[in-house]
Amino acid sequence: MKRRSSHPDPARLHAQFERVWGSPSGWRALTVVNHTAIGRRFLITGAVFFLIGGLLAMLIRAQLAVPGYVLLEPDLYNQVFTMHGTVMMFLFAVPMMEGLAVYLIPKMLGARDLAFPRLSALGYWCYLFGGIILTASLVLEIAPKAGWFMYTPLSSAAHTPGMNSDFWLLGVTFVEISAVSAGVELVVSILRVRARGMALHQMPIYAWYILVMAGMIVVGFPPLILGSILLELERAAGLPFFDPGRGGDPLLWQHLFWLFGHPEVYIIFLPGAGIVSTLLPVFCGRPLVGYRWVVLSVLATGFISFGLWVHHMFTVGIPQLALAFFSAASMLVAIPTGVQVFAWLTTLWLGTPRYQVPMLWLVGFLIVFVAGGLTGVMLALVPFDWQVHDTHFVVAHMHYVLVGGMFFPLMAGLYYWLPHFSGRLPSERLGRWGFWLVFIGFNLTFLVMHWTGLLGMPRRVYTYDTGLGWDWPNLVSSIGSFVMAAGVATCLLDLLLHVRFGRPAGVNPWQADTLEWATDYPPASYNFLSLPDVNNRHPLWREPDLPQGIARGEHALVEIDHGRRDTWGVEALSGRVRDITQLPGNTWIPLIAALLLAGLCLSLLLKQYGLALGLSGVILLVLLHWSWRNGPLLSPGANLTVQANQPPLHWQTHDGPGLWGMAVTLVADGALYLSLLFGWFYLGIVTPVAGPTTVKVGAGWLLGSALLLTVGTLYLGGLLRRLRQGSEARLGIHLLLLTLLGLLQVTLLLGALQAAELQPRARALDAVVLVMLLYSLIHCALATILTALQAWRARLGYVSARQSYEPRVVAQLWLYNLGVLWISYLAIVLFPLGWGNGS
Amino acid sequence: MSPVLEWTALALAVPLLAGCQGPQSALDPASATARELARLWWVMSSVAGLVLLLVSVLWLYALFRAPRQYPQPQARRIQRRLLIGGGLLLPTLSVSALLFYGVNAARGMLPLGEAPLRLEITGHQWWWEVRYPQGDVVTANQLILPVGVPVDIEVSSADVIHAFWVPRLGGKLDMTPGRRHRVRLQADREGVFRGQCAEFCGTQHAHMILHVEALPPERFDVWLQARTQREAIAPAPGAAGELFASRCALCHRVAGVSDGRRGPDLTDLASRPTLGAGVIANDAAGLRRWLREHQRLKPGNGMPNHDDVDDTTLDALAAWLEGLAP
Repeated sequence: MKRRSSHPDPARLHAQFERVWGSPSGWRALTVVNHTAIGRRFLITGAVFFLIGGLLAMLIRAQLAVPGYVLLEPDLYNQVFTMHGTVMMFLFAVPMMEGLAVYLIPKMLGARDLAFPRLSALGYWCYLFGGIILTASLVLEIAPKAGWFMYTPLSSAAHTPGMNSDFWLLGVTFVEISAVSAGVELVVSILRVRARGMALHQMPIYAWYILVMAGMIVVGFPPLILGSILLELERAAGLPFFDPGRGGDPLLWQHLFWLFGHPEVYIIFLPGAGIVSTLLPVFCGRPLVGYRWVVLSVLATGFISFGLWVHHMFTVGIPQLALAFFSAASMLVAIPTGVQVFAWLTTLWLGTPRYQVPMLWLVGFLIVFVAGGLTGVMLALVPFDWQVHDTHFVVAHMHYVLVGGMFFPLMAGLYYWLPHFSGRLPSERLGRWGFWLVFIGFNLTFLVMHWTGLLGMPRRVYTYDTGLGWDWPNLVSSIGSFVMAAGVATCLLDLLLHVRFGRPAGVNPWQADTLEWATDYPPASYNFLSLPDVNNRHPLWREPDLPQGIARGEHALVEIDHGRRDTWGVEALSGRVRDITQLPGNTWIPLIAALLLAGLCLSLLLKQYGLALGLSGVILLVLLHWSWRNGPLLSPGANLTVQANQPPLHWQTHDGPGLWGMAVTLVADGALYLSLLFGWFYLGIVTPVAGPTTVKVGAGWLLGSALLLTVGTLYLGGLLRRLRQGSEARLGIHLLLLTLLGLLQVTLLLGALQAAELQPRARALDAVVLVMLLYSLIHCALATILTALQAWRARLGYVSARQSYEPRVVAQLWLYNLGVLWISYLAIVLFPLGWGNGS
Repeated sequence: MSPVLEWTALALAVPLLAGCQGPQSALDPASATARELARLWWVMSSVAGLVLLLVSVLWLYALFRAPRQYPQPQARRIQRRLLIGGGLLLPTLSVSALLFYGVNAARGMLPLGEAPLRLEITGHQWWWEVRYPQGDVVTANQLILPVGVPVDIEVSSADVIHAFWVPRLGGKLDMTPGRRHRVRLQADREGVFRGQCAEFCGTQHAHMILHVEALPPERFDVWLQARTQREAIAPAPGAAGELFASRCALCHRVAGVSDGRRGPDLTDLASRPTLGAGVIANDAAGLRRWLREHQRLKPGNGMPNHDDVDDTTLDALAAWLEGLAP
């Protein structure tokens, strides 16, 4: 659709856009929030951590090459294998896939940035600092050494004194802030920030995969975050959540860990499969077969993956019926995966395949991944798992799935999008050498390793005796791993060389169908000078000239003299435009917040709890300042009027991305709370505990607080209803009254904590109640503070009937707190009455 | 079959079967359960291999054959057939068949009812405590079983999570502090099998090896008898005796002499094949080397160094320990 008959000079427009959107260099590069820059940083940092993780793998393979060889002392070896897993999972696989999505998603969806650019920046800095803290522990030789799964009691203060486990618990939690914030960011952006007219079913298939992955991160990471908090509380403060001697249970940790750990596998695999589903049609020159089938399988995979965490725990002695259930659920996941594999195969069958380097990696992916999937089905069979669980067979299986499902597609994707990053094409010859070395080296290493496991070699041993038949397979694996390393080095060389020597890519070098190829390569910070309308899945196949038209400013939202960063805000399902989403510009706040969080992490590590408390206060102030720079204060100095024929700015509506951002964040928060609730019921019902299972709490105080919170939430609801009807009389006063009510409610909650006769160091159930009450206390206090700020903003005129979007965001928190407090009341006060009194 | 084929098959099969053998190999079973599990592997891996071959060949064929154009209706038919047949039916049917087979196989392996012999094994960092309640017999790092008799083993842990696993006799089971689990073993032939801790348990997880030996029932009875009705053990003489009483006895039990519980029971030490849960052979030289260098042989183990003890005393202590056999 052409909106303008006379275009202004595109070159001048580009210069103007660059002034508003541009990413500065020098010191101010640290303020950048632009998704292209952030995505690139994620990818480069992820690649560095991959090399570190790979180096650790080489150390492991060197040590195991021959029996009895001790290159690393046992303690250091245990640190090395723990960190290999930790780095590859938390610092490479997840951030790398998120980084690629952060870079690609807005471009594929025809938008100029993600919904919350400052959040992307915060996520990146938390990732970087957390990664540095974790790797620093390895340099200091005090790295975590209880395995990447941190099973307690091994990881507890009694059996691993020193800071090793703390580095993991605090460092990984810090990095997970990054993962969850990117998860929230991607969910909301995919649903709300797209090209005009792009309905959900017209999104590129990659966006579906990322939507599901991001949703899984939002729900899947909180159980581990909670587990880490509890274990750190046990180590630092002696709260016995996992100590069987005081009513705790080490199995609770395993449940929380695998509640995260299994979805994690699919969080890593789905974006990889998304790359396959994106590339394969391009190289076959035809649309993906069975788009709907694939979307449904991806959704199904997401759901099923939350129901099979127990298959990592088949050997812990769980009732037979439960085992059969989880065994069946684990095998069920083969069906959606089978659908995808055959959708790809059919695409290949019906298309005209071109055999280029990215395609080579896709073939490698298929063979390796299918092999890994097949051994996965075997492992889901309980009795077989009893035999090979925790042996090298599982090591082999897991690498087939993860390297096959993530690394091979990632390499295909890197080769595919390389021209997009740099404007140049890599060398075909080096690329082929790199692939074959990796492919051969990988299979040499891990195919043999199945056998090593069947011959009885357990995992995580720093050495082994000769005479067990393990000598030659280990040697072959070690040789293979070095061949693979040579392959990785070749690819790396190719990547470095192509920046200088690569052929220029030209426009749309692979004849792709998706919009990211309609930008410049490398892309301008605003992606598209003008935003095209999209109403089909293959915009560049339908209109090959689209890139030129976009660059000439022939499409929408080319106004820039207002100085704002604008992109379309659309309805989630239909893609109809409902507002202009105004995005924030570059700012120091994310970096400052991340630095302070890093300080908090370090002060907890060093057990400087006074300092930690002080820093938490400062962090709260910085984040409140962040929230203050919103709505009309989003970009100071910008002109906030829109043209008559255009929709309003997002904060002038009742519904903006922030509302969705809050909702998705609360989903993550809710997953955390539900995990805590799971812990309560698990310890109360499943764990064999001696002594009474009831806990003395200030039930009256708690009930009073919950009732008051109900009144407050209803009050706020009424306020919002009147705002919607246009009545804003004494809004500030009402919000102030609500703040006072909130204060009173928080005070009652404090009273409940006072009145409770808890012995949190002596009994695990008491410790859980303490955490539950503190959880509500912190949340209600936060809601009260935010309400006070709203009262202030209403007084200043930033919140009114016309701009009622912010109090709606706060109201979600009130409603959430209400639900949580009542559930806690029921769980703590009423439910144990039915548990009976005894062991 | 032509002789060439026959010889080729033989040439392939011999190293393959030889490659399955090993004291800890799951593919070299010595019990009905382990045999069933090994069979499970051979069946599943053959089917999986075929599926992998099928998918890979289809994929490569589609990639390298001459491209062809399909008219729309035919394309749609191919699409439907492949998605429903390959994507839905193939995994559903094979997974159901496997599940049916697997659940039935598992049922046969459960420890139903009471076995005639019951014993307890407790995991420690990094050794095994083995108790035979019948005769109040305690030993460490060795498990002696009668051939052909089902044995129920109650496993637990004194510190962190370990896992009990003797691959040639069956699958593994976690040993969790605060919980007791039961595993049933029944060796169907005489022999020595190797067990090893299968859950990562800290610094010396690699050196937590269990010597398992199945004896004919009459020899097993003799073995147990000897420990139940052993003669009183005289304390070590002289300086060695003082050393033992002031240090070793704090952690180690020797029936009738000392009552330490932190380290392995030493009552039948001399009858065990290895020291340090599989680190070195238990012979005269090995024992002396262990007493002197155990922190070098098994770094991080719970026994303190005793560098101040002179060679003569240590040798006398070793001589006394060598007599600790039923």
